[in-house]
Amino acid sequence: MNILTIITTAFVLGIVWGGLIYFLSRAVKYEKLKSSNGEK
Amino acid sequence: MKQQEFFSSRWALILATIGIAIGTGNIWRFPRIVAQNGGGSFLIPWVVFLLIWSVPLIIAEFAIGKSSRLAPLGAIAKTAGKRFGWMGAFIAFVSTAIMFYYSVVTGWTLRYFIAAVSGDLFNTTDYLSYWEKFSSSSQPIIYHLISMAVVAFVIYRGISKGIESVTKFLVPSLLLILIVLLIRAVTLPNAIEGIKFFFTPDINILMDYKVWLNALTQNAWDTGAGWGLILTYAIYMRQKEDIALNAALIGFGNNSVSIIAGITIFLTVFSLSSVDAMTQISQSGPANTGLTFIYLPGLFAKISSSFLVNAFFASIFFLALFFAATTSLMSMVELSTRTLIDFGLKRRRAITIVAVTGFLLGIPSALSPVFFANQDWVWGVGLILSGAFIAFSIIRYGVDKFRREVINGMGSDVKIGKWYNVVIKYLIPLQVGVLISWWLISSAAWDPEWWNPFHAENAGTCLFQWGIILVTFILLNKFLVRKTLED
Repeated sequence: MNILTIITTAFVLGIVWGGLIYFLSRAVKYEKLKSSNGEK
Repeated sequence: MKQQEFFSSRWALILATIGIAIGTGNIWRFPRIVAQNGGGSFLIPWVVFLLIWSVPLIIAEFAIGKSSRLAPLGAIAKTAGKRFGWMGAFIAFVSTAIMFYYSVVTGWTLRYFIAAVSGDLFNTTDYLSYWEKFSSSSQPIIYHLISMAVVAFVIYRGISKGIESVTKFLVPSLLLILIVLLIRAVTLPNAIEGIKFFFTPDINILMDYKVWLNALTQNAWDTGAGWGLILTYAIYMRQKEDIALNAALIGFGNNSVSIIAGITIFLTVFSLSSVDAMTQISQSGPANTGLTFIYLPGLFAKISSSFLVNAFFASIFFLALFFAATTSLMSMVELSTRTLIDFGLKRRRAITIVAVTGFLLGIPSALSPVFFANQDWVWGVGLILSGAFIAFSIIRYGVDKFRREVINGMGSDVKIGKWYNVVIKYLIPLQVGVLISWWLISSAAWDPEWWNPFHAENAGTCLFQWGIILVTFILLNKFLVRKTLED
């Protein structure tokens, strides 16, 4: 694989899958916080 | 009191909403568009437009639905002012018009799933004739009827017993199937060639404005942003529910699934195709069915020497497509149903009207590929106008006020900054203007009689059909708004 392919793969997967994992972890964190505060 | 039900949790809301976004556009259209636009060269602008089209509009839809607790007609009238209710009516109509033929598409996927399970799909090697025999028979009407009936039953059961229960099963199942198919594709011989094409950019192609416009179009069509569907589900989100983080999850989740589907299709085609793989992936075929219904079944027959293994993979692929189509169709039927509920009808009566009308008005698309292509073209481009109306209503409300009071209001986990004002005020209108102009002007290239409203795919038919609907709703605006907001 050439360097351009690797950079594009890192860019696309980094933003899309990386973004999904980041936002998912934030959502899990806030839900845990809410449940520890006694919210349903 | 029209508001009675809510999604039971954040995860229930997210699963239902991601069910809207993940449709046939991810599995069926995305790989074909990537192939037609230079593989990796397409993915870069596609990621950019996720950030400046899809996510901002999904945020807008969540916020408008949550604050107004009304379907698009009432929601836009409440946000932008009563004079602009016709814009909401147009948004609702466009998604309803798409629902008529999308139910037909859902029926196709069900028919191919049954054909794969029964083994009938592998009794032929000429898949074009197989498709033509099916599509020219009365079978599409029967499968359209089944799809509409199944979805109508789900919507009749309401939010928690219907939409929430079904999407809790369908969406995780769909993701699991796609992962199984991805693993199988990765382990096929020579699969690396598909990966190389999928991710390798060509700088010359990247400089082509058409690739950027196709990337924007793909985001507009496959994330569900600007359709009014997410707005409708947002009616049922709890008051303490977050908007911005959930919207980001939907946008990024949808495009993540597109990547999984794209990689799977590219690896499969590059590994198993005996002819030019790129030509095969790029083929549109009748009603854009080429790759999915004509070419892929032939490839599934080559996955292994075992009939059972091949039938298994073909079955789960079409099952995934059916699940994806069903969850999206559910949201379209709910939008139409909720619009009637806002007019004062009971859910039972509203869903009966929507299902019967949806079935009857879907029949022409089930029978005629030309009619299908016309409706897909007219209302597909019309969706971009819907996105513009959503942005307009926020501009009318006051973008900064909307951001501070509604998006960053009660329940927000993360706060959205002033960048959002710039996107809604300038970038969305700019993208809408460029995209609609480009599609309509491009149609002149493939149809010299671009003005003729009775041709299937040109500027004339779009302007003619939009014009009729817009003039009708503008004339009926007072009546529609009064019925929705005051009854």
